[in-house]
Amino acid sequence: MKTIEQINEKIRNGSAVVFTAEEVSRMAETMTPAEIAEEVDVVTTGTFGPMCSSGAFINFGHYNPPIRMEEISLNDVPIFAGVAAVDAYIGATSESAFDETYGGAHIIEALIAGKDVKLKARAKGTDCYPTKEVQTVINKNTVNEFYLFNPRNAYQNYSVAVNSQKHSIYTYMGSLMPHMENATYSTSGELSPLLNDPELRTIGIGTRIFLGGTQGFVSWYGTQFNTQKPKNKYGIPTSNAATLAVIGNAKEMSTEYIRAAYFEKYGVSIFIGIGIPIPVLDEDVAKAVSIRNCQIETSVVDYGLEDKPVIGIVNYGELRSGTIRVQGKEIKTGSLSSLEKARKIAEELKKWIKNGEFLLSQPVEMMPKNSSVKGLEQRS
Amino acid sequence: MKKRFVFRFSPDTVKKPLMSYLVREFNIDVNIWNADISYGREGKLVVELEGDENSIEKGLAYARSIGVNCSPSIKELQFNREKCINCGSCTSVCFYGALQINQESWELNYDPEQCVVCGLCIKACPLQLFSISREEE
Ligand code: SF4
Ligand code: SF4
Repeated sequence: MKTIEQINEKIRNGSAVVFTAEEVSRMAETMTPAEIAEEVDVVTTGTFGPMCSSGAFINFGHYNPPIRMEEISLNDVPIFAGVAAVDAYIGATSESAFDETYGGAHIIEALIAGKDVKLKARAKGTDCYPTKEVQTVINKNTVNEFYLFNPRNAYQNYSVAVNSQKHSIYTYMGSLMPHMENATYSTSGELSPLLNDPELRTIGIGTRIFLGGTQGFVSWYGTQFNTQKPKNKYGIPTSNAATLAVIGNAKEMSTEYIRAAYFEKYGVSIFIGIGIPIPVLDEDVAKAVSIRNCQIETSVVDYGLEDKPVIGIVNYGELRSGTIRVQGKEIKTGSLSSLEKARKIAEELKKWIKNGEFLLSQPVEMMPKNSSVKGLEQRS
Repeated sequence: MKKRFVFRFSPDTVKKPLMSYLVREFNIDVNIWNADISYGREGKLVVELEGDENSIEKGLAYARSIGVNCSPSIKELQFNREKCINCGSCTSVCFYGALQINQESWELNYDPEQCVVCGLCIKACPLQLFSISREEE
């Protein structure tokens, strides 16, 4: 048994033993959870995938004479103006009025890169905010705050997508070829944050994390947080389950770990890089972080049919091999999230902790234990 | 000599056997890279012709004489490698082995030699890193 404070003490004096989740999974082939708990203090995880439910708050600063911005666009991408005079929210999936392949995600990426962005704002004009229109150019150094606040990131597992129909379909899971010619999947398997802490024993509200290349925090449980999904014998939910809301200073982030994307005939999305450290407090945590790709299973879903039926179960070892077998058919797989970047994130976080630049945090509050997801019904 | 060409057929010329004639009469090896063609309709073939220069010239002259429009294909896949995030989405739609993820480093490997310019990766890459260079008419 270790406490977070004891681990932090070791981080401060440079003696903490830190491994990535992949390294620990290899160690677990010859070591018991008790030995891992004894030897390892922190395990770092990482993921870099498209996470649509993301965006950034921005405060432009007051204009003279002031304006109560009611309609705002950045490079012709409409952004949410329904918060105070010069506060706004850049939703990652908001699309340009002139180019559907360009949207909020691209604005966020451009601002992080330090580029200039065209601001247009309109208002009705009030006694205290008389200006009705502003057109100017901003960048991350001209604005006050600019921070990511993503309502739903880091999904704990996600289904694999295939398409049984006769024609291709284009989805947020990428291009799905007809007759189940290909399958796409997301999440970084044994490196994925919430798959290494399936019961959310150590990750909670207030947990300090790696977000987009800088330190950020878990701010809340993510939207559509679900604890009711069926689990396999290793305690892993076999489809999308828990999620996280995260927050962090976008001014300090890097386009290496935040990238805009456009999915054909679906729309704009954003790749977000997240890494979460897991303190190895005891044997149970050690066992959880030892999980291997072949033990992480996920459902295969037919996106070609309206009710999206589950048509099989595969594991990440199979997915990574390049082909899976579903209903007797060999299917070519492709990942939507980047394992190469996920590894970089876990390594970077490991380096920060080893250098004493990143301390672990005790969650302020744990995540809900009983949470399910409702649909939207027609009512009157 | 080995060179790639685009053959365009009108509904009439589609009915004439051209490929076998090129092989038989001009001793040209024909490798079909992409075909969008059906009997009685307009169509397009992307072929790689291999043989001596003179025979290829003669073969092309013959194709033109029966009304097939031939142009050298410089159609190539352009790939903006620098911006690639190595996700691997594109690999699941490349059925010719031109795009593969390295199982060790998880970096994307693009082999232009294998690419038949089918164009499927263009829509599959969420960072829009592929495009096709314009074909010479
Ligand atoms: S154009 Fe077709 S063959 Fe060439 S790399 Fe793209 S998917 Fe593969
Ligand atoms: S889909 Fe695009 S970003 Fe992803 S590996 Fe292929 S080329 Fe790179």
